[in-house]
Amino acid sequence: MKKKTSTKLLDFKAMNNATRITLLVGLAAFFFGIFGLYTRLFVGEREVGYGSYVVWGLWVAMYLFLAGIATGSYMLAALEYIFNVPIFKGTGKAALFAGLVTMPAALASIGMDLGHMERIIKVYLQPNFFSLLAQMVWGYTLFLLVVIVTLWLAFKQKDGQPTGTFFKIVLWIGFFMSIFLSGGVGALLGVNASRPYWTVGLLSVQFPIFAFASGVSLMLIVIGWFMHFKDEEQRYHLFRWLGWVAIALSLSKIYILWAYLSQAWYSQIPDVMAPLNEILFGRYWFSFWVVQIAIGTVIPLVLHMIPKLAHNGTWAGLIGLMVLIGFAAARTNIVFPAMSVEMLDGLPNAFFGPHLSILYTPSNLEISVTAGVIGAAILAFVLGAEILAVFNKPKMEVK
Amino acid sequence: MAQEPKDVLVRMNEDLQRALEKAPEDRHWVMVIDLRKCVGCHACTIACVAENKLPPGVVYRPVLEKETGTYPNVTRSFLPRPCMQCDNPSCTPVCPVSATYKNAEGVVVVDYDECIGCRACLVACPYGARTSDFGYTYTEELPVLDGAIVGREAADDYECAANYEYGKEWAREGHRGSPIGNARKCHFCLHRIHEGELPACVTTCIGRATLYGDANDPDSLVTELIKSPNLIRLKEELGTEPRVYYMV
Ligand code: SF4
Ligand code: SF4
Repeated sequence: MKKKTSTKLLDFKAMNNATRITLLVGLAAFFFGIFGLYTRLFVGEREVGYGSYVVWGLWVAMYLFLAGIATGSYMLAALEYIFNVPIFKGTGKAALFAGLVTMPAALASIGMDLGHMERIIKVYLQPNFFSLLAQMVWGYTLFLLVVIVTLWLAFKQKDGQPTGTFFKIVLWIGFFMSIFLSGGVGALLGVNASRPYWTVGLLSVQFPIFAFASGVSLMLIVIGWFMHFKDEEQRYHLFRWLGWVAIALSLSKIYILWAYLSQAWYSQIPDVMAPLNEILFGRYWFSFWVVQIAIGTVIPLVLHMIPKLAHNGTWAGLIGLMVLIGFAAARTNIVFPAMSVEMLDGLPNAFFGPHLSILYTPSNLEISVTAGVIGAAILAFVLGAEILAVFNKPKMEVK
Repeated sequence: MAQEPKDVLVRMNEDLQRALEKAPEDRHWVMVIDLRKCVGCHACTIACVAENKLPPGVVYRPVLEKETGTYPNVTRSFLPRPCMQCDNPSCTPVCPVSATYKNAEGVVVVDYDECIGCRACLVACPYGARTSDFGYTYTEELPVLDGAIVGREAADDYECAANYEYGKEWAREGHRGSPIGNARKCHFCLHRIHEGELPACVTTCIGRATLYGDANDPDSLVTELIKSPNLIRLKEELGTEPRVYYMV
């Protein structure tokens, strides 16, 4: 593998400012996370904000978010290697590597949520395959193996060479897995008739689309901030096309969100309306209107339409980042409010004690662990990609 | 002269002894809660906490209170909520390791040694009947009084001494061992039942509002009661087939 400017494994001097800043942010997040990771691993789960009524919190939401990036990135790589889509040319390795990093981060995030982490092995040894959770643990573990094999094959393949049959088979397997698994996490929530807000139609089908959109957003960051281009013209072309893809995805996102929320609204079912009210006007309004809608959807859409900004590396990366932040908020808005309802009238007030509330705010411990996991993922991604020269963009024709 | 009617506790006790002579799969445990008799004293909640040594944040049988109407036409009603021991439970199929299941007697149990603490069952239960054990004790924040005969340490010892859920010893040692980190729920006091004793909530209920027995026994009290027309089950529309009936 050829390194761009230096023979050293890592040459910080050769890195651009965006790469250095990202590494610093990753490092800061990881250091902030050490407190949380230590507390969670060696003290326990007491300091978390979730509990017996709001059962799943930030870590589960981040699992959905990170797993979405992993599967979405794989879909993107498949578009390059299987379908030869020109606009994605040259992004395959970076996308696969993103999958390789975000998948373990997703599994770490969900692992933190287990009351008995050390027993995770039981899901492999004595699984109940009827349980979607068991299916997801197995599915994502196999998917991680497929990502590793695909990446290995991608490295073996020389640029411009046609994709070999074995490589294609692996890619097809991974492609299907990425679609089914990204939808599966939606189904994991949707099968719970106990939580009517999750049973509104369209919940699980939106997940693969959102996963793909998060893969594209990550690629905007990668191309905008990290990729070394031999020819700036190439970067410009990629932005132009990826920008259009991102606009199309943003519009579909808005449409799906409207379809989902309006369906919930017009049902007027009290147990569906309660979480919806919390999202639109209650506890989660900021996360919904400001982070998910404004920062994550509308502003990026507007910026995409301004060619001067959309074709500028720094801005394009920023747009990608905003969309990703919006997706993270979207995941929390799916997970938390659905559980902020009284399962039976008066249940939260019938008995008082720690973790018996339907009001949920992520605790410092949860935020710290999440920062640690994401920080570690950022460091692993940027450093790993620099070492493996994943960010070196080969010169190619982009029409 | 007409025969004095038996106290329901005596009758239920006799029903229980008869049921225990049968094979487990021939018993059909049900609970009937007469809401007209419940005075909202919460004795059953506390009896359950004491029997199963439940830590803070874990509750098997809260009593829900509801106030309806406006002054002066106000009523207060109470609804004790144990696990419904559903015949078609939504909590068991979601368990990734089959740690929770319906046992031979039809009671939904949790195998604390197998449970990984994913809380999927808490999410799936439509009655909020499961709580997670986060490892607290009631006494941990209390000051120790020097010279007190019975101080925090004695209370601590009591709290950390084993309970006998599912017929096994579960001591609270350290912060990590089961049942800490597990999903926990009402199990109709199976450990007492197998010793020939009624569930703690049944024997403690001051209004004799909680009734228990084998619905497969034509002579049992509960068989008689579940024929009444004034019975409801919670969220029956979900098809969970609860084994807890409410008389209204
Ligand atoms: S009440 Fe909930 S925990 Fe109990 S059996 Fe039914 S679904 Fe399971
Ligand atoms: S918390 Fe335990 S009993 Fe409940 S689903 Fe998870 S592993 Fe099964």
